Amino acid sequence: MRMLRVGRWITAIGLVLLAGVYVRALSFTPIEQSQGLAQKIFYLHVPAAIWAEMAMILVGLSSIFYLFTKDPRLDRFAASSAEVGTIFCAIVLTTGPIWGKPIWGTWWTWDARLTFTLFLFLLYVGYLLLRGAVPDPAMRARYSAVLGICGMCEVPFIHLSVYMFPTLHPMPIVLQPGRPKLPGSMLTTWLLSLGVFTLLYVGFVVQRYALSYLREQLEAVGEGGAGGGHA
Amino acid sequence: MPENGNYMIAAYILVGVILVGYAVSLYLRARRSLRP
Repeated sequence: MRMLRVGRWITAIGLVLLAGVYVRALSFTPIEQSQGLAQKIFYLHVPAAIWAEMAMILVGLSSIFYLFTKDPRLDRFAASSAEVGTIFCAIVLTTGPIWGKPIWGTWWTWDARLTFTLFLFLLYVGYLLLRGAVPDPAMRARYSAVLGICGMCEVPFIHLSVYMFPTLHPMPIVLQPGRPKLPGSMLTTWLLSLGVFTLLYVGFVVQRYALSYLREQLEAVGEGGAGGGHA
Repeated sequence: MPENGNYMIAAYILVGVILVGYAVSLYLRARRSLRP
């Protein structure tokens, strides 16, 4: 299947480039003086966070359009984006505490940004569980579209939580009004990492979409065969 | 400068494992679906 092969190639290129980002981040990017080497976690944590949030926004948008058009491709895309978003959200929720322990002195605190991100992860897990629990495809698509739209509505709260609540979490230094507050070489590494995470998101979603399509086709063939048997 | 390189190494290994693991899982699921 062509789409599956394309997705695999994009993913493979993304993983090779990720190794390049590792080399650049570890060997060719200066060490931040106050945080030490732990600051380099930022090059993986922030792009993963951006794509964890973007994936949910795309789930929500495709869900809105699905409810109007009932196009199964939109539902398939939402399911794919949600699964990939769960993976990126898991990266955010594991790399964050690994950075927090040496910098804040604790693995976890019930800070607004952290709590909202955990809530996003739970929404993703709930979305996937819901899809697994409803056998009827039309009902599954409709219920999960509603949950996907709710998930999308949570994303602005994650981004704005550092402005809305007193928080330990660092303020945005790249995605903020005005110029990024990062030195040039650090910004280049961060942008490269963001590009690689974008590529990985696309590669994963294309593969996951193709997989869903393949399964639906196989189910349709199976049902057709079974129906033929009865007739 | 604080000595916390081991945290950075742990995070980098973890991210690699999660991403490669998911890529392998997609590959295996697709192969299983394509099997006659």
